Amino acid sequence: MKYKIMVFMLVFSQTALRAQEKLNKLEAPSSPASSILSLQPTTVLSPKSYQALETALYSNFLNSEDNVIVPNDFALEFTPYWTKNHGLSLEEYLYPKSAFDQLVRNSSFSVASTQKFLLGDSSATSSLAFGYRTTFYIGNRKDREIVEKYKTNLRENQTIQTRIVTEAELLSESNEITGNYDFLERIKDTITKAIYESGKCESMNKAEELTNNIYKEAASLPTLDKSKPLPFLDSLYGLIDKHLNANALFNKFKTYVTERYGFTVDVAYANIINFPANNFEFSYVPRQSFWITPAYRFKDNWSVLKVMGTFRYEWYNMDYYKQYFADINIYKNNIDYGLALSTVFKRFSLQFELVGRYSSTEIPAGTDSKGNELYRKDQNSDLQYIGSFKYNLTNQIVVSYSLGNRFEPIQNPENTLVSILSLNIGFGTPTTDDLDL
Amino acid sequence: MRKIYRYPDRIFLAEDDTDVLYTVKFYSNGNSGLTLVNVPGPIDPVIEDEGTEFIGKGRDLRSEKTISVSDIANLLPTENVIKICYLLNNQLLVEHINPKSEEERPIIIIKIIFPKP
Repeated sequence: MKYKIMVFMLVFSQTALRAQEKLNKLEAPSSPASSILSLQPTTVLSPKSYQALETALYSNFLNSEDNVIVPNDFALEFTPYWTKNHGLSLEEYLYPKSAFDQLVRNSSFSVASTQKFLLGDSSATSSLAFGYRTTFYIGNRKDREIVEKYKTNLRENQTIQTRIVTEAELLSESNEITGNYDFLERIKDTITKAIYESGKCESMNKAEELTNNIYKEAASLPTLDKSKPLPFLDSLYGLIDKHLNANALFNKFKTYVTERYGFTVDVAYANIINFPANNFEFSYVPRQSFWITPAYRFKDNWSVLKVMGTFRYEWYNMDYYKQYFADINIYKNNIDYGLALSTVFKRFSLQFELVGRYSSTEIPAGTDSKGNELYRKDQNSDLQYIGSFKYNLTNQIVVSYSLGNRFEPIQNPENTLVSILSLNIGFGTPTTDDLDL
Repeated sequence: MRKIYRYPDRIFLAEDDTDVLYTVKFYSNGNSGLTLVNVPGPIDPVIEDEGTEFIGKGRDLRSEKTISVSDIANLLPTENVIKICYLLNNQLLVEHINPKSEEERPIIIIKIIFPKP
């Protein structure tokens, strides 16, 4: 399981869980269930097997007397496809044969719950949320070119390393070797040939130059002990790896696999089940949301740019809100639509988004002369624009700041200024995507 | 530093006339790898990703130790473990498993001798 812990410092924001209160940012949420509950959980469980899923659910939703409970501040995401090994090659992973394959592979289910869902009278109630999300990707020619280039470079390094390691392992067993100098002299030609013949260097001179660079640092290698040669050998392999830039190449390729050029569409759905009397037998579904978020990542000189669009439909249960949020104005149907532009420069990123909202409700307006019920349509529109800045202090510490104008909150409708500074500290390799900043 | 996994002194009994086939099979998703099998003689079989290669007759493999070196990379964010099996004539030689939190780019070294049955 992967755990993420987040620490938030909110300069200007409300933390209470209220309907339509959360700063609804444009991008599709990584965990739709947490998002619809406006929950920023301290822990997100990500079980990687059905057994781990069962354990997570049983240990959180059953108390010591085996009664069902709604846990507080609970969030779980589960991706069924990746619970098993399918023996997919990298090629098969990067280029699924059909949209159905993508649907199945990327489908994830989320559950979240809280005991602090505040009703209009500020009473705390229990709520559960369920969510679903999947992603479709449509690559382009440039994506193929980039992937092929990374694969070729990776293969070159693998070819070099396997040849050198094979030779070095055999050489280390030879009784004729007298020490580091002797060992390095005997293997030098193999290193140069391996580099040249892999195609990494276009000429033998370049290959020799790379070998010489490796040998300049060879003095730092531990002394070759014939009875325990592994410290020397492993350090030598590490030194060669460093000069081949193999780890940097691998990390770049790994990053690219998650941020490919081309077109992606995120589709997500979530709903809330609220227990206004904190009784499991009595519940409402007060709200449901559906997101479609297409995004395009540009290539070449424009590769730092990403354009996103969004369509988000939210449905509110008017009977519920009339009863439990009597003093606030809620619309039954809410449609958000907008665009965002984001750029990423190494450690920091900028995003600007503009989202429009159209809300409407049909209100009973009596009956006509024949007794048919009449309705009038109450409608509203609103605009949200927010600029955000994120800076990765380290891989696990992210500072972000957002400034702009939000949709009119239900409580305090005049209060539309957004100015949020947050510091996120992660443990267990979280990513900024996990943090829903 | 990159982690090296070693499996020394594996033994496979092979008759003189037995064809010996070496197989690399990926079980975890999304591995990319190259395996070089150093056998006596000038030509060393190479297996790109996974597959099976003829590495020689039993009699040809006795003169020195055979070394298999795999350089593996797993790029998938969804995968937590790297699992690879090595087989000789469909018999399991090594089952390698390592968590990616330990190493995402393992080098796997297997040393094999081929005595007569």
